Amino acid sequence: MKEADYKELKKGGMMRQAEAGLFSVRLHVVGGRLGTRQLEAIREAADRFGRGEVHLTSRQGVEIPNVPQGSLAELKEFLAPSGVGVGVCGPTVRTVTACQGCRVCPSGAIDSPALAAAVDREFYGKPVPHKFKVGISGCVNNCIKAEENDAGIKGWIEPRWSGEDCTECGICEAVCPTKAISRPGKGMQPVIDRELCIGCGDCIVACPAGTLREEVRGFRLFAGGKFGRVPFLGKRILGVLKTEAETVAAVAAVLEFFRLHGKPRERFGDTLKRTGFEALEAHVLGKEARP
Amino acid sequence: MTTPMLDITKDVCPMTFVKVKMGLQKVAPSGKLNVRLKEEALKNVISSLKGEGHRVTNVSREDAVYILEVERGGS
Ligand code: SF4
Ligand code: SF4
Ligand code: SF4
Repeated sequence: MKEADYKELKKGGMMRQAEAGLFSVRLHVVGGRLGTRQLEAIREAADRFGRGEVHLTSRQGVEIPNVPQGSLAELKEFLAPSGVGVGVCGPTVRTVTACQGCRVCPSGAIDSPALAAAVDREFYGKPVPHKFKVGISGCVNNCIKAEENDAGIKGWIEPRWSGEDCTECGICEAVCPTKAISRPGKGMQPVIDRELCIGCGDCIVACPAGTLREEVRGFRLFAGGKFGRVPFLGKRILGVLKTEAETVAAVAAVLEFFRLHGKPRERFGDTLKRTGFEALEAHVLGKEARP
Repeated sequence: MTTPMLDITKDVCPMTFVKVKMGLQKVAPSGKLNVRLKEEALKNVISSLKGEGHRVTNVSREDAVYILEVERGGS
């Protein structure tokens, strides 16, 4: 088999194994969620075409290892009716990871699986200069490690001091995990440093008088993160995005920026080191401003 | 009658809230209970109190210890 053919197979989620002639087949999983019908089909496929086992990847994916090259097409056909697609590799938008989000987790601020499905629908497998990973955490507890992704998203609660009934008890200041709240003096309103605020909403929950309110409950975007050989944590960009649609549009603009400025085999974080994060923000905001 | 004082400075979550809940059961509706607690317990205790319909009517502080005056809600 020619090297070019292997490359094509790899792009389509068929990963050449160490042992010649065998492939590990990557499946298309969104936000780590699979229906029982899909699990059944995967089990049967692993029995029929592999060696009766699957591998759970580090990014919520499923691979069926030990599939002979001659069975690849048949395996794909076998899985299709149950809605299990074959995954992707190479310079594309990869598996979108997500936690269970606000529908399941009591801490959740956003419906992360719903956003994962929307991002996957729009961008999965689309070509980019280098692999591009998206991960979504439902809140700032960050179980999905948003900053490890080229585009990471976190549920975010932004507080606002309404002034009503504030007793100046200082509890907001005491509970804030990042010391983002300070009270300049008696009778003066607490100041919230938006740079330090991590959007946890603890001050709102703890304020006994109900003075602190939710200004926005939304989505916060982090760009340029990666793991691998040289890890780099993504940086927060833009303000808090209010809706899922706004967030998907922001991810679209981010991907467009990567296509415009990224070099082949250059991870997004490295592109941003060259261009600066401000250029990315300006690009995304320019898109939003357009009618 | 002086307001009873409950000290939960030596407890950790979830015992903190369990003790506050038990303490409030001994108080008549609209009656008051003072709770001494540490900073770490503030968020969870206050959010649980609010969730159960009680009110924090005063907050004072002695160094690292907070004293919440809680008014029992409901019936
Ligand atoms: S990130 Fe937040 S919402 Fe998601 S599982 Fe973790 S705690 Fe729950
Ligand atoms: S916790 Fe609420 S009442 Fe107390 S100082 Fe902060 S805003 Fe005011
Ligand atoms: S939301 Fe969290 S980080 Fe932000 S000011 Fe409130 S307590 Fe501090």
